[in-house]
Amino acid sequence: MSAMPRVARLPRVTDRFALAGAVLITLIALAAVLAPWLAPHPPGEVDPLNALSPPDGEHWFGTDAAGRDVFSRVLHGGQTSLLIAVAVLAVSATAGVLLGVVAGYAGGWVRDVIMRITDVFLAFPALLLSVALAVVLEPSVTTVIVAIAVTWWPWYARLSAATAASIATRPYVDAARCLGVPAIMIILRHVLPNSLTPVLVQLSLDAGGVILTAAALSYLGLGAQDPTAEWGLMVEQGQTLFTTNWWVVTFPGLAILLTAFAFNVLGEGLRDALDPRRIVK
Amino acid sequence: MRWHKRLLVAGVAGVVALAASACAGGQVRGAGGSPRPSTGGTPAGQTATQDNEATFVYAPNLDVVTDWDPATSYSNEIIALSNIYEGLTRYNAATKEAEPRLATEWSSADGGKEWTFKLRQGVKFHTGAPLDAEAAKKAIERTMKSNGGAAYIWGAVDKIETPDDATLKFTLKYASPMDLIASSGYAAYLYDAEALEKNEDDVKNGKLDVGTGPYTIDSWRKGQETELTLKAFEDYWGGWRPEQYKKVAFRVTPEITTAWQLVQRGEVNFVQRLNPQLFQQAGMTEGVQAKQAPSFQNLLVLFNTAEGPAKDVRVRQALQHAIDYDGLVAALKGAGQKAGGLVPPGLLGHTTGLEPKQDLDKARALLQEAGYGPDNPELKLTLTYAQGDEDQKLLVTLLTAALKQVNVTLQARAMPWNAQWDRGKKGDQDIFVMYWFPDYADPFSWFFNVFRSAEDVQFNLSYLKDGAIDEAIDKLPELAATDPLAADQAYADLQKKIIQEKAAVAVPYVQTYQRALTADVLGYVDNPAYPNVVFFYDLKPAG
Amino acid sequence: MPRHLILRLGQAFLVMVGVVALTFVITRMVPGDPAVAYAGPRATPEQLAEVRERFGLDEPLWVQLAVYVRDLATGDWQTSLHTRRPVLEDLYHAFPASLELVGAGLVIAIAVGVPVGVLAARFRGRFPDFSVRLTSMLAVSLPVFWLALALQTVFGSTLGWFPVAGEYDGSLDTTSPLTLWTNITVVDALITGNWPILTSTLAHLALPALVVAAYPAGVIAQLVRATLIEEASQDHARLERALGFRETTILTRFALRPALNPVLSLIALVFAYAIVNGFLVEAVFNWPGLGRYAVSAISHSDTPAVAGVTLLVALMYVFANLVVDLLQGVIDPRTRAR
Repeated sequence: MSAMPRVARLPRVTDRFALAGAVLITLIALAAVLAPWLAPHPPGEVDPLNALSPPDGEHWFGTDAAGRDVFSRVLHGGQTSLLIAVAVLAVSATAGVLLGVVAGYAGGWVRDVIMRITDVFLAFPALLLSVALAVVLEPSVTTVIVAIAVTWWPWYARLSAATAASIATRPYVDAARCLGVPAIMIILRHVLPNSLTPVLVQLSLDAGGVILTAAALSYLGLGAQDPTAEWGLMVEQGQTLFTTNWWVVTFPGLAILLTAFAFNVLGEGLRDALDPRRIVK
Repeated sequence: MRWHKRLLVAGVAGVVALAASACAGGQVRGAGGSPRPSTGGTPAGQTATQDNEATFVYAPNLDVVTDWDPATSYSNEIIALSNIYEGLTRYNAATKEAEPRLATEWSSADGGKEWTFKLRQGVKFHTGAPLDAEAAKKAIERTMKSNGGAAYIWGAVDKIETPDDATLKFTLKYASPMDLIASSGYAAYLYDAEALEKNEDDVKNGKLDVGTGPYTIDSWRKGQETELTLKAFEDYWGGWRPEQYKKVAFRVTPEITTAWQLVQRGEVNFVQRLNPQLFQQAGMTEGVQAKQAPSFQNLLVLFNTAEGPAKDVRVRQALQHAIDYDGLVAALKGAGQKAGGLVPPGLLGHTTGLEPKQDLDKARALLQEAGYGPDNPELKLTLTYAQGDEDQKLLVTLLTAALKQVNVTLQARAMPWNAQWDRGKKGDQDIFVMYWFPDYADPFSWFFNVFRSAEDVQFNLSYLKDGAIDEAIDKLPELAATDPLAADQAYADLQKKIIQEKAAVAVPYVQTYQRALTADVLGYVDNPAYPNVVFFYDLKPAG
Repeated sequence: MPRHLILRLGQAFLVMVGVVALTFVITRMVPGDPAVAYAGPRATPEQLAEVRERFGLDEPLWVQLAVYVRDLATGDWQTSLHTRRPVLEDLYHAFPASLELVGAGLVIAIAVGVPVGVLAARFRGRFPDFSVRLTSMLAVSLPVFWLALALQTVFGSTLGWFPVAGEYDGSLDTTSPLTLWTNITVVDALITGNWPILTSTLAHLALPALVVAAYPAGVIAQLVRATLIEEASQDHARLERALGFRETTILTRFALRPALNPVLSLIALVFAYAIVNGFLVEAVFNWPGLGRYAVSAISHSDTPAVAGVTLLVALMYVFANLVVDLLQGVIDPRTRAR
């Protein structure tokens, strides 16, 4: 199978989905970043006498068991979720692309060793590995980032190795090699930049998955801890209240859905513009 | 042809799976049955003496049995075992006294260091053997020797003698209220130790029980939804009336919302704990009784008196003043009741006048004195509490928010008990949050286990080391056994000292049980000395 | 032995070493003392020491690892701290229920995903396509645990259309006991003709299976659409069009069959994914499978059980992949060159 994407052209930004996704993400990111100014209450402000009051003019999304404003916490929760997504993708993409590019450019036994290690990680169900890691490490936002990043980098390694291998055989790279340019320079100047486009598309497709996984880990109690505002954690905390106080669970859940959806729409749009055939993980 | 590969993966996975599960070989699931509860009692026209064929279904939220050995059992199985086994006495929460059970009467001498119990006549173990003094002695001695679970409750016993078949005489190393100790929900059962030792495997696997109680094991299937069923023991010394429940089933239901659905539909008769919201709903639902009862379990917020910033008594007092006691109780919405002192109401030594109140100004002033507070550098404190406990989480949330106002940052961590305790034993936190409850209806354990100084820290998680307090604690058992009035005063003085003077602990609330029963069940009384236990023998269906 | 065989076996061995090492780390590097976890909340120091000795917790770490590997090989997967039964036995009881749930979920996912994908491809760029793409993207963006809670509350509690939790009505064990052959309730009820249990199980299965199906259904729909569109632009489609076949016929008669190949390959991937995702669903619906077992193990810090689940799922995954690769090498020699 040829994993060599046709990457030369940039995606058409005119794709409706890509555009809609980009707009949505911008809005969500703005809401998260501006949360301290947008939120009517500080996320940690308690009001036990008004605990579990339903949505009204004062508390748009109602209050939770400690009387905290759910709307404010959902806004602040966006910071946590986006932070996790950005951190995971940055770490795993950096590690994956570096290893992948080296493997793809070098070939031979270097490629074999790196790709076999990658295979070992890919042969392991990702969420399971994350859960297992998170059980051992102390629960925190950092744990979530580490646990997910460990399972995510091999995908980038594999993707960029394939791209890099194809770029490494192109005439201009050969030319550079013949001129005596050191390998490190060739990788940095030619191979790496040209391997990035498919990775960028993959990143936007993956962001939704990372957000869902992070929420699942927090839901299991392995991630963010109270009083941190985190959507998965908020769903977990309201779980037993769903039948009697629906708002505590519903809004953070919708926030996860909307954010994951926005990233998926953007990624889908970008990928569709590049290649209608889905590369499924 | 890549898809062939993927298809094969699916296929092989399926084959592996089937091979793993295909060894069942035609056995019948649930042999022994998983019965339905009664639905509305006896039909009209029938008399009340109609035999009760219904099964009483209890919905626990956790596994029913973790240890079948009556000597070492120290967990959820108290609910089942209290119906299979009995002790010499049983605590009556209304009279606050021990009442006869397998002993009919008792007396103490030598300042509470000698106790004589008269055994009930005509009691038979489920094994068929009669209960006599020798058998009772053997059981207690085996429990003491096991040194597991709550066996420590017999720690005062020096020797047991059997002057005759019906008399059990305890000689103690130090004075202790043996009548209360013998009423303990754990480790106080009398059982056929001989039969147990002969059939140890059967007992451990829930195939056999060796008690004297009204019920005996019918079937036990660990990990199944209906984990345990009990049936009436025909030769029970108390006899049987037709209307009593002869069959009991335990249906494990971890989610309280699910448990609530089940009791509403009459699929279970008893749910041990609802949350306040569902409890409120239960109160308005037809066909369901909502029962609220105080417990002997209270929340302790223990401050590190040995190390760190809380070593300064002013910081500890500030922390006491920072807790929003009334807000917490309001947010608990009935799941807890404001505490006054260390000992919950209903026990000897319960005091009034120690009810705490939030006072942030005072907290600020105290912190200021100690060199912290808004105008000084930020104070960072660590706190550990129980993972998965909604009520403790509420306390932590409120405390975090309150302390933030006085420039104190609380780093709270929810942990599973073993991890939290491990850390606590090393003195590795500033604030330790835990529940405490007595193993028998006596306040002594709050003082002896939690506040008596110890070289090797177990539950003294405030790390309090005070000679005068130790001395006062050591005098308590004898006082309780000889002069209850003086004991009451001693308990009151100690609490003042520990809470106000030493500020080693804050006690925000005593837990309240919020339970639901189907409306057709009569005779249910909550007994806080036996947490979550239903004595099925005492119940009957309405009608 | 052929080179590719050695390579594959070597790789599978590496993965297994990794998995075993990881599970060992899980059982030993827990926060807190495993002895306390076993001996109970108010254990005395003597009791703790005894437990430590019994489980070899006082030995050096490498001895513990060696013992661990030996025990795994001989079928001793340690004892669960929570259920206090052998982990392997617990897994044996929990696994069939998970298989049942995930199987039902995948059946729904295929039954919905394929036709919907065809529909989208047939009307590419028009309204059906748009709405299918949108819905499938929604389906893959749903947090499963939240969807599970929402469906349970709405269709279980509020409307009362479906049971709230459990695998089937427990009282049926008395009235029409089930004879076990495969341990999978639905299958056993079907082959022994036990209709009460069959209908009860199906009713209980509906909501959790729907939740499990959401993600794979979305992915399958997207994939079918994408592959059909690609197939429809191939030369054979052009020929068929020239021959006067209608567009729908081309899609369903000629393009769908080759387009199903990647779908089938996807199902194997999604299967493993769904087992793990099912963990969250099982916990909500109190489904007596691996997931409920794992989640309760996590909340009780029952590390032997967590390690056991991890080991089982990972080994199944590795083993299935290995067997497939080897078989494929036999069937299609070209793949050996890879």
